[in-house]
Amino acid sequence: MRVIIFTWEYPPRIVGQLSEYTSALATQLVKNKTDTYVVTYHPYLTGVTEEPNGAKTTRIANPVRTHIGVLTWVLTLNEEVERVAANIYYQNKKVDLIDVYDWHFIPAAVTLKSALGISFVYSVDSLEDHRSHDADAPFNMAIKSIEWLGFYEATKITAKSEWMRDEIIRIYKVPKERIGIVSPNTSGWINDVLRTYTEIAGGTRTR
Amino acid sequence: MTSNLKVMMLSWEYPPRVIGGISPHVFFLSKSLVEVGVEVYVVTCDFPGAPAHETIDGVEVYRIDSYKTPSPDFATWVYLMNLNMQKEAATLAARLPGKIDLFHAHDWLVATAGIGLKHVFRKPLLATMHSTEVGRREGIHTATEKMIHETEAWLTYEAWKVICCSNYMVQHVKWAFGLPDDKLVMVSNGVNSNIYEAAGKQDCESFRREFALPEEKLVLFVGRLVYEKGAHVLVNAIPRVLEKVNAKFVIVGSGYMKDQLASIVKSMGLEHKVMFTGFLDEEKLTRLQTCADVSVVPSLFEPFGIVALEAMAAKSAVVVSDTGGLSEIVDHDSTGVKVYPNNTESLAWGITKVLLDEKFRAQISRNGYRKIREEYDWGKIAKETKKVYEGVLGEYSKSFWA
Repeated sequence: MRVIIFTWEYPPRIVGQLSEYTSALATQLVKNKTDTYVVTYHPYLTGVTEEPNGAKTTRIANPVRTHIGVLTWVLTLNEEVERVAANIYYQNKKVDLIDVYDWHFIPAAVTLKSALGISFVYSVDSLEDHRSHDADAPFNMAIKSIEWLGFYEATKITAKSEWMRDEIIRIYKVPKERIGIVSPNTSGWINDVLRTYTEIAGGTRTR
Repeated sequence: MTSNLKVMMLSWEYPPRVIGGISPHVFFLSKSLVEVGVEVYVVTCDFPGAPAHETIDGVEVYRIDSYKTPSPDFATWVYLMNLNMQKEAATLAARLPGKIDLFHAHDWLVATAGIGLKHVFRKPLLATMHSTEVGRREGIHTATEKMIHETEAWLTYEAWKVICCSNYMVQHVKWAFGLPDDKLVMVSNGVNSNIYEAAGKQDCESFRREFALPEEKLVLFVGRLVYEKGAHVLVNAIPRVLEKVNAKFVIVGSGYMKDQLASIVKSMGLEHKVMFTGFLDEEKLTRLQTCADVSVVPSLFEPFGIVALEAMAAKSAVVVSDTGGLSEIVDHDSTGVKVYPNNTESLAWGITKVLLDEKFRAQISRNGYRKIREEYDWGKIAKETKKVYEGVLGEYSKSFWA
């Protein structure tokens, strides 16, 4: 199975917990014989590397250096994510799925799905409604719209707790059966991830 | 390849959505490309009342929901609109029976959609640069302007070829983004002369009376009343023209300088000689262009100068300032008269010369009309554009993407 992980933070770039989690995920996937690619952002350590954990990692920078907000930054970075993911697809002829962490690279995942038919899992680490509680300015609503697009287009959604699953259902009215729980605190978490992947790669679409 | 070349055209405006010059450009280019055997799919923004999909003169037009996502400001809206445009265009391109051969983006307003589509489908991207942020703003001053400028640079970097509509713009774009010569192609902008043919058959004498006395010559200015269009140069030239010729000056358009221009006219005591019409509908405007004795384009900055082409298509004599795209459109004393930019005396001289010499006036309007029929004809432009497409596809076929 060939999987690409999209994450906006990955070691050595550590913003929050997501960086360490996606690194542990990539390590475990390789150990479980998954052909693992990581696409992430770094302002200057750009290019393709084969990391000690065995995951083929590509770090991209934004071709547009000046921005007026995180939205314009994210929306221009997505084209680079698409470029790298398309390269992986065309070099290998096949990508089974993309695992997208949080909203940042949802636009790229949606285009890759529309253009090349690659399914994606939307793995939720946090939601805009929690990060900016109750904020409904256009800036926040735009991010929420992108999260909504992710929920709508994803083949499967994963949350890290039952509480987060229920929050996704409450805020975005996503049917419960589309959301799986992958709790990194449990010993067999990687099996939960692999089960989700196999379900999708096997062609079982929940929508 | 020649019979079924498929191009997907990306534009943020397409009729009935008309904001600036890109809309008519993409409209006429697309339908003329269909006439020379290219399959054209236009993906553009929605407009109230316009259908999500329709076929116009053989062009497949798809309108996307451009306000799907709330946005804090115009520039952010552009990138958010591109998100949806890219998604819809990708869905369309993936389900078409044949593959899209290339993507053609018009200006930075569709840059990110075009760049992403290029990579996911691995097809060449072409960009037409109609204008630049550094040109529009006379420099780069704010973070927003810098971001737009860098997005334009990125688009030209990702494009296989960059098309500009005048030699002036080729040089400007080359300077602005540091592009190599062989990446730039000049394909002129066009004018639809047919609408003037119809207007030309109608009676001018009675129509003129709405604007001028029978004994007055009619001098026409069409443009936004903003500094770079130079209407103030024309207004200041009026007394000098009136010393030699009895004329009425009709100023069509609106803009932030309107009140200022009106007060200059008033202070000169020439209100009876100048008429500000504001915006006019297309029918009235084309008739006015057809009936004018001379059309004046006194711009200080002009990437192309479509209004001069329109006047020439309407068989009107033109007096233009010798700058930007206007310098290329008009050949002095042959297809029009060129005057020094931002120079009242030179402009007054040009207008007077045309109005006093009936034979000269008829000759330059005849030559001007012939020139636009030969060089600025959409059929010819479509053929040239198709040649650019074929050239790019020839190079592409030898690349590892093919």
